[in-house]
Amino acid sequence: MKQPLILEIKGNALDDGPGIRSVVFFKGCPLSCMWCHNPESKRIGAEIGFEAKTCVACDTCMDVCPEGALSRDNPFFIDRSLCTLCFKCADACPSGALSRIGTPMRVDEILARVIRDKPFYDTSGGGVTLSGGEPTMFMDFTGELLQRLKANGIHTLIETCGLFDIDRFYEIVYPWLDAIYYDIKLINSDDHARYCGVPNETILSNFKSLYARYQDGGVPIMPRTPLIPGITDTPENIQAIVHFLSTCGVHEARLLPYHPLWQEKNLKIGVALGGHAAEMDQWLDNQVLDRCRTVFATAGISI
Amino acid sequence: MLLEAEPAEPITTHTKTGKTLTHLLLKALLRTVAANFNLRPGLRRYLKAEAGWFDFTVGIRTESRSVETAIRFRNGRVRVLKALPDDCGVTLIFASDKAVRMLLSATPTEQIFMLMKSKMRTKGNQAYMMLFLFYLSLLIHKKQKKQIVQERDESQKALHKDSPTAKTELSDELRQRRAYRMRADSNDPGVKYLAEPFLSDYSLEDFPRIKDFIEIHFNTTAEVCPERPRLVTEWFKTHGFETNADGSPWIPELRQGYAFKYLMENREPIIRKNDLIAGTTTTKEIGVVVYPDSHGTMIWSELLTVPHRSLNPYGISRETVELLHKEVFPFWIHRNFREWVREKYDSPLCQAIDERFAVYFIWKQAALSHTIPDFPKILRLGATGVIDEIKQELAAGDKTEAQTATLEAMILCLEAMIAYGTNLAAQAESDAEAEADPKRRAELAHLAEICRQVPAHPARSLDEAVNAMWITWVGLHMENTNAGLSLGRLDQWLQPYFEADMAALETDGQRRDYIRHAIEMVACFFMRCTDHLPLTPDLANWYFGGSSSDQAITLGGVTPDGRDAVCDMTYIFLKVTEMLSIRDPNVNARFHPGINSDTYLKRLCEVNLITAATPSMHNDAAVMTSLEEFDYAPEDLRNWSATGCVEPTLSGRHIGHTNFQMMNMVAALEMALNNGRHPLMNWKLGPDTGVVENDGFKTFDQFLEAFFAQFRFLIEQSIEYNNMLGKAHQAIRPTPFLSSLIEDCIPSGTDVTHGGARYNSSGAACIGLADVTDSLMVIKKLVFDEKRIGFKALKKAVDENFENAPDLYALATKKVPLFGSDNDEAVEMASRITRFTHDTYGSHTNYRGGSYTAGFWSMSNHVIYGTLSCALPSGKLTGKPFTPGLTPEPHASTNLLDNIRDVARLDPHHMNNNIAFNVKVVPGGGDRRENIIDRMFSYVKTYFDLGGMQMQMNVVTSETLKDAMAHPENYRNLLVRISGYNAYFVTLNSDLQKELIERAEYGL
Repeated sequence: MKQPLILEIKGNALDDGPGIRSVVFFKGCPLSCMWCHNPESKRIGAEIGFEAKTCVACDTCMDVCPEGALSRDNPFFIDRSLCTLCFKCADACPSGALSRIGTPMRVDEILARVIRDKPFYDTSGGGVTLSGGEPTMFMDFTGELLQRLKANGIHTLIETCGLFDIDRFYEIVYPWLDAIYYDIKLINSDDHARYCGVPNETILSNFKSLYARYQDGGVPIMPRTPLIPGITDTPENIQAIVHFLSTCGVHEARLLPYHPLWQEKNLKIGVALGGHAAEMDQWLDNQVLDRCRTVFATAGISI
Repeated sequence: MLLEAEPAEPITTHTKTGKTLTHLLLKALLRTVAANFNLRPGLRRYLKAEAGWFDFTVGIRTESRSVETAIRFRNGRVRVLKALPDDCGVTLIFASDKAVRMLLSATPTEQIFMLMKSKMRTKGNQAYMMLFLFYLSLLIHKKQKKQIVQERDESQKALHKDSPTAKTELSDELRQRRAYRMRADSNDPGVKYLAEPFLSDYSLEDFPRIKDFIEIHFNTTAEVCPERPRLVTEWFKTHGFETNADGSPWIPELRQGYAFKYLMENREPIIRKNDLIAGTTTTKEIGVVVYPDSHGTMIWSELLTVPHRSLNPYGISRETVELLHKEVFPFWIHRNFREWVREKYDSPLCQAIDERFAVYFIWKQAALSHTIPDFPKILRLGATGVIDEIKQELAAGDKTEAQTATLEAMILCLEAMIAYGTNLAAQAESDAEAEADPKRRAELAHLAEICRQVPAHPARSLDEAVNAMWITWVGLHMENTNAGLSLGRLDQWLQPYFEADMAALETDGQRRDYIRHAIEMVACFFMRCTDHLPLTPDLANWYFGGSSSDQAITLGGVTPDGRDAVCDMTYIFLKVTEMLSIRDPNVNARFHPGINSDTYLKRLCEVNLITAATPSMHNDAAVMTSLEEFDYAPEDLRNWSATGCVEPTLSGRHIGHTNFQMMNMVAALEMALNNGRHPLMNWKLGPDTGVVENDGFKTFDQFLEAFFAQFRFLIEQSIEYNNMLGKAHQAIRPTPFLSSLIEDCIPSGTDVTHGGARYNSSGAACIGLADVTDSLMVIKKLVFDEKRIGFKALKKAVDENFENAPDLYALATKKVPLFGSDNDEAVEMASRITRFTHDTYGSHTNYRGGSYTAGFWSMSNHVIYGTLSCALPSGKLTGKPFTPGLTPEPHASTNLLDNIRDVARLDPHHMNNNIAFNVKVVPGGGDRRENIIDRMFSYVKTYFDLGGMQMQMNVVTSETLKDAMAHPENYRNLLVRISGYNAYFVTLNSDLQKELIERAEYGL
């Protein structure tokens, strides 16, 4: 069974499904969206992170680094070509500016963490959400975790990009799910390949299949569209998404307005901001949001 | 901080006599003072009281005696003395020459901080210091006023600079909350007549009378009322205080009974314009009650400046100033609790510690009033019925002289109440005659009828019951200081009258009108409770910022026989709480898991959201668990009410003085780090427990023992002072009226101050639990477990306020699991502290034969005690506040559930004077009211399911609070919960405002 690294388990989440929830963030994603809000979740392997604003410049880390990979002359502080990911610096760092990104956790460890909040799930109708990254990259692990959550009477929800083997999904993951949040980003496959790194045929066909099964009494599925300025929020794309959803018979969807907070996270993992950074540092305009809402509403899809 | 602008030390030269130039400068100044008083008749007349010339001496010196002089007031002459005489009434002792010079140029606020920060201490009678400062203020009050105005303008200017335009969308959001009102989706078994218990159809707009009262509340400056001090002083001057007219010693109870009767018979009976309730606590629209027998003389120094001060200004007339200075205060200089202790016990150490401000404050110097009177008794029997009961006791003939006198005193008090009721009835009649408006005339005639019935006789209707309660409340406040005296389970006690009235109505229309009337009656009662304010010296504005007298009302829970107590009146009180959104009465709600309904809890959350800060919510089961160790009868335990802030009192039969003290636990930690020396006071007062710098601690447990040893020392000192002050209450101000309304005092013929109540205890408020726990966790983890840093290095960093050790600061604040982070070890650490605290207090018996209890809440003292402490191992920096109550530190976790879970895991058995757990939550824009309430409900319900005792939510963003700080005009009624009590944000001192802004904020 492929073992994922876990980025974070976030408690008291109020925006990732009904009620009060815990969100388990997996590390690793088959897509590579250029606006990814959790860029540290893209790669499967562990990474070392550095957050300049937290650093107190005590230089403790430099004394412990065996490779001499740390230097204040380096704008990213860490020379990742020298770094062997021994994490001695992160262990010694007093401020948490240097940190390990991605921790191996067993199913029972995750369960032990999230079950502490069960009393809150119970009074609020909440539960556990698996997110990432992409939990379906670790289908067996995800299935086992979901099964254990269900066995403990916990409501389960998965947030997915939709790129997975649908048959295995039905077999291993689907039986233990109470709800699915499913991203529909771009309808044009070439655009999808350009901005997200892969074409979208599988994603769209998986959605059709899952939605049809939902209509047959299966697991509820909620399509969600991130509104990225100039990329997904174009009138053409929004119209195409609404058309696609309508043909599937969808009556309810969610829009996720863009925010630029991810740029700082990129710096943390040593990724330089590309040429598009400057044009992408604005929050989504409210007028654009209203325009998109109107298109959905006109087609009878409530937001 | 305020004091850092002090001048550099230029003058160190000593004169031939070993005195410094400062000494000469001060003497010159004092001579000028003396000359002014000797030569200017306008000033000289203040040297004389009604009974003769003031005769006292004020010594002034530095610790090193580099300055040493005195000023003597005698026979109308003022003289500066060459040496310090032995008979100084009071001596002001300065830390240094610099401090002396600073005082001379300081603003009034700076002077307060000088005193609190140990730049100056006093020895001797505080009233003389206040009188001396009053004299100085006679000379310089014009300058003082200018300084106050300048101080206020500068701080407001600075705020406006940061935030030039008001964000009206934020203040509007608060107002708009009341526009939407949820409807109840089910009803509780005890609700008999309300079809929709949330009463969502009603709003303040439906009650013009109440709207007017609210306007008065927010637009009237309180005024010092001379009535009570004038009348009681008059009586004592005629009839004697220590001895009676025959020269034989008074039995204090009897003396107080007569004085009380004189007071009540001669008070002006007032019916406030348009009110449905008769009687007032003062002769002013909003009055400040003066209790010269407790802390009244503390305002002496401010008589001329109190109308001009920035925080809590009071109006005061020229006549009142003259009266207090010449006739009232002189009589009480030695006759108050504090000075009685000083003289009787020869200035004990425990009192000297209290008077340094940084370690503990014993409330008994002002009041012993934290209790719940037996309202049902006065409603059921009337004063005449209680008198009959007392007469039967007397007729048994088995009472001692003291018991007989006590019972006779109670009768005098009850007769006094009957007289006051009669006077009110007569007043209502004459007001009715003079009234042109027929509707109001009818109301006044009705009031006259009511006052002829109550409080003399049993109440027969809701109108009579509410009036009887209020009139009784006025009487209790004429006898007792208005500090935390609390109202109890008013929904339970008024419900029978509501039901009886309802049952007599015939049509739906009548019943609808009556419900509206019941809401209005309760709203009038709430507004009556705002007719008085405690007398707060400016120093106390920094100590207890924005507090009114904290008259707690308790709703819901279970009945004495264990059934669901939520009833019609519960929801009527909640409706009034929601509509008025005022700071006092302090509304507390009991929720009994498994018995009270979710509908009720959701309503509590909704009222909390709309008002932003109230009610405070209690887990009924956990509070009762915390009191299991006492032999309280189950039906009495189930009848508990919150008192003052949050503390439990068994209604009508328990003197728990649940706020006998505010204890700074952090002081004990600082003393443990410094081998018994308190760093700010620079005073070695505690025992030797080990020196960090000499490797005095080999294990963590050794250090923990050192902390416990220092804490035990402080607890014992504070208890000693409390017991002495308790004796002072017995001598100075026993309270026979209150005693007549506390179970067992009548059969035992014993005043409550002597332990006449069925149940007795004294409750502490221990402050800084999170700060102490986290500091100990840092020491344990980093120094002893992980050995990452040396104790000496940590201590040095702490001593230097972490200025040279950013890495240690980062480690302490980021790499140690803290209380509130869902960490077993941190919870265990907090539990060790609560257990020790409980056990240590609990091992002592008070002067009334009751136990000591320990609570973990802080009023507003977490701010001032933080200001008066240095940096801590937890990373708290010098002068910064502690967390409120036992709330975890803001950086303990980003997850509110971690906070909730850790607090809920603390054992109620060790927190038998309750806790205050503050949570700041803010709704996101656009969410439905029902969704927001569901989340709040879920937090509270789960917290209670997990065993948590008490929770209070502030539903307001830091951004809004910042806007309110800069633009107070848009936020006059912004209610915030400090720790246990409510206050208007814009009336708070700036340190307290900043603390509220810095609290962790969680989205909803």
